[in-house]
Amino acid sequence: MRIIRNVFRRKLRAVLTISGIMIGVFALIVMGAMAEKITLLVDGGLKWTGDKVTVSAGDGAMGGFSTNPLSVDKVNEIEKVDGVAEASANITMLLSEKQSAMTMGMPPMIAGGDGRGKDYESFKVRYIDGREVKPADRGKVTVGADLANKLNAKVGKEVTIRGEKFEVVGLMEKTLTAPDSSVYVSLYDAQRLFHKGMPDMVRGRVNPDTMATGITVFIKKGYNPEKVAENINKEVIGVKATGPKVFKEQIGNSTKIFTSIIFGIALISLLVGGLSVVNTMTMAVTERTREIGIRKAIGASNHAIIRQFLSESAVIALTGGIVGLGFGSLFVLMANAGNTGTPLFLLTIRLMGGSLGFALFLGILSGLYPAWHAAKMNPVAALRHE
Amino acid sequence: MTMIKTKDLHKKYELGKGNHVHALRGVDMDIDKGEMVAIMGPSGSGKSTAMHLIGCLDKPDSGEVYIDGNRVDNQYNGTLTRIRSREIGFIFQGFNLIPTMTAVENVALAAEYAGASKRDAHDAAKKAIEQVGLKDRMYHRPSELSGGQQQRVAIARAIVNKPGVILGDEPTGDLDTATSHEIMDMMRDINITTGTTFVLVTHNPEVAEACDRTIRMRDGEVIDDGRESKPESRDLDDELMEVGG
Repeated sequence: MRIIRNVFRRKLRAVLTISGIMIGVFALIVMGAMAEKITLLVDGGLKWTGDKVTVSAGDGAMGGFSTNPLSVDKVNEIEKVDGVAEASANITMLLSEKQSAMTMGMPPMIAGGDGRGKDYESFKVRYIDGREVKPADRGKVTVGADLANKLNAKVGKEVTIRGEKFEVVGLMEKTLTAPDSSVYVSLYDAQRLFHKGMPDMVRGRVNPDTMATGITVFIKKGYNPEKVAENINKEVIGVKATGPKVFKEQIGNSTKIFTSIIFGIALISLLVGGLSVVNTMTMAVTERTREIGIRKAIGASNHAIIRQFLSESAVIALTGGIVGLGFGSLFVLMANAGNTGTPLFLLTIRLMGGSLGFALFLGILSGLYPAWHAAKMNPVAALRHE
Repeated sequence: MTMIKTKDLHKKYELGKGNHVHALRGVDMDIDKGEMVAIMGPSGSGKSTAMHLIGCLDKPDSGEVYIDGNRVDNQYNGTLTRIRSREIGFIFQGFNLIPTMTAVENVALAAEYAGASKRDAHDAAKKAIEQVGLKDRMYHRPSELSGGQQQRVAIARAIVNKPGVILGDEPTGDLDTATSHEIMDMMRDINITTGTTFVLVTHNPEVAEACDRTIRMRDGEVIDDGRESKPESRDLDDELMEVGG
C-alpha cells in the first residue's frame, strides 16, 4: 500500500510512466502473438512437408506452388527410382483467380490429388462432418476449417469455386496449417479448373487429363529423402525434386528473421518505456532526497532504501505490464474474432508470461541505478536538502 | 555515568574547490546518562555538526565518539545504521515526517527499521502515539496535523525504539511559544520518567533554560561546558516535584 501511495504521489507522472510500459507490453503482446502464429504455421508446415519429396516441373519454382504444368506420366517414372514408395500427382492453385498471393500466412488454395500415397501420409486430416473427397468424385469438395465460414460451407450444400458449383461432402477439423485454408477436390476436377484458368493461347495445346502442378513423393522406410530427391533429379528428365531440408531451412530462416524483426520492434518500444521508468525514479529520488535523509536518520539501512525504490519501480512496471497485457490480449482476441479468414494472432501462455516477466525485469533494472544512488546518499547532506 | 563522550573531534567540509569550512576544531564533550543538555551557539559554531557526529549520521575527520561506553566513530556504515535505529532517536526542526504516511505509519517505520515485524512495529507505534497524547490523530497524515501535533508524532517516532539517547535539532524552531513549552514539557517528562539522555541543539534560551545544562560553542569549539554555571536549583528532585504537581 505504502509503495503504491509513493508511486502515485505524482499522479500524472506515474500514469505517463505506466503508460510507457503499457504501450511496450501491448506492442510485445500484439506483435508477439503474430510471431507466435507464424511460428506455429511454419511448424505445422514443416510437419505437413514431413519427409516428403516435392517434385515440380523442371524450371518450376520451389515447393508445391509451381504453376507450370507437369505431366501425370512422370508419376510412373518417379516410382521406378530407388527408395520411392509411391508418388501422387496433384494440382494446387489459388482459390480465387483474382486474389493476390500476398496475404498473411497461407492464401486460400484449391488442391486436387489422385489419392495415391494415403498409406504413407503421416499427417492425418480428420473431418468434423462428412468424408474426404475420393479420386472418382466429380463436383465434390471438402473444405478447410478456416474457409468453412468464409464460403458458408455445410455438408450437402453447394459452394461456388472459380465459378463452378461444387457439393460439399466434408468439413475438415482445424489443423493449424495448410489444409485449414484449402479446399480439396478430385484431381480430375482440379485439372478442369486449372485448365479453364489458363491463358487462351496455352489452353488449346494442353490436355487437362495429364496435367499436374506437383508430384508428392513418399519415401520408403530407411531411405534418406534428400538422397532420393537427388536420384529423381538424375534419373527423371524434366522435373525438379526438392527434399524437405531445403524447405525447412528456407522457411525456418525466413521465419527466424521475421519473428526477430517483430520482437525487436516490440522490445525497443518496451525499452523506451523502461527508460521512462529510469527517468521517473531518478526524479523521485531527487525530489525525495530529504525523505531519504530522514529515513536514514531514523535507521534505514542502504538495503532498505534500495528495496523501497526498487519496489516502486517494480510496481510501476508491473502495473504497466498488467494493463498492457490486458489491452494487448483484448486487441488480439478482437482482431481474431473480426477476421473470418486465418486468425492472424496466437496468444500463448509463454508470450503472456514472458512479456510480463520481461516488463518486471526491466522495471527492476531501471530502478537499480536510482535506488543505488538514493542508498549512497550522505544522510546529513540529504537532510539539509531543501 | 557517561552516556556520550567526544574526544578532540575535528571535521572539515569542502564547499568548493579548495574551499574548506573547519566546522569542528577539537570538540570534547561529556554528557551523563539521563542528562538533558542544550547545545547553544551562533550559526556556524559547529553545534549541528557535533550533533550529527554524536548521532552517527556522519564520521569525524579525527577524534573519537563514544555512546554508552562504545566507540562508534570508527564503525562501518552498517553498524552506524544499526546504532542509529536502536540507540538514538532524532527530532528535527522541520518535523521531518514522511508526508504520504499516517502518524502511526511514520512512527512504525522507525520500529521496522530497527528490526520489528510489521505487526509489532504497529503495536509499538500505537503505544508511542498514545504516550504523546495523539491517540485520536493516529491515522491522520502530517498535512492534517498542526505543527505541535507533528512534532509530537516526531517525538513518538524518536521514543518508539526506547533509545538511550534522543537528539533534537532545533526541536521547537518552527513552533509558537505556547506549543514550544508544551513540546519541551513533554521531552522533559520523557527524560525524567525513562531516564533517556537528551541533547538539544537550539537557539532558544528558554529551551536551554529548561535543560540541566547548556554547552556553548563558537567557531567549532566548546567555549563553556556548562558544568560551572549549572544552577543548583535545577536538580532532579525539583523537576520531579514539578512534573508530579
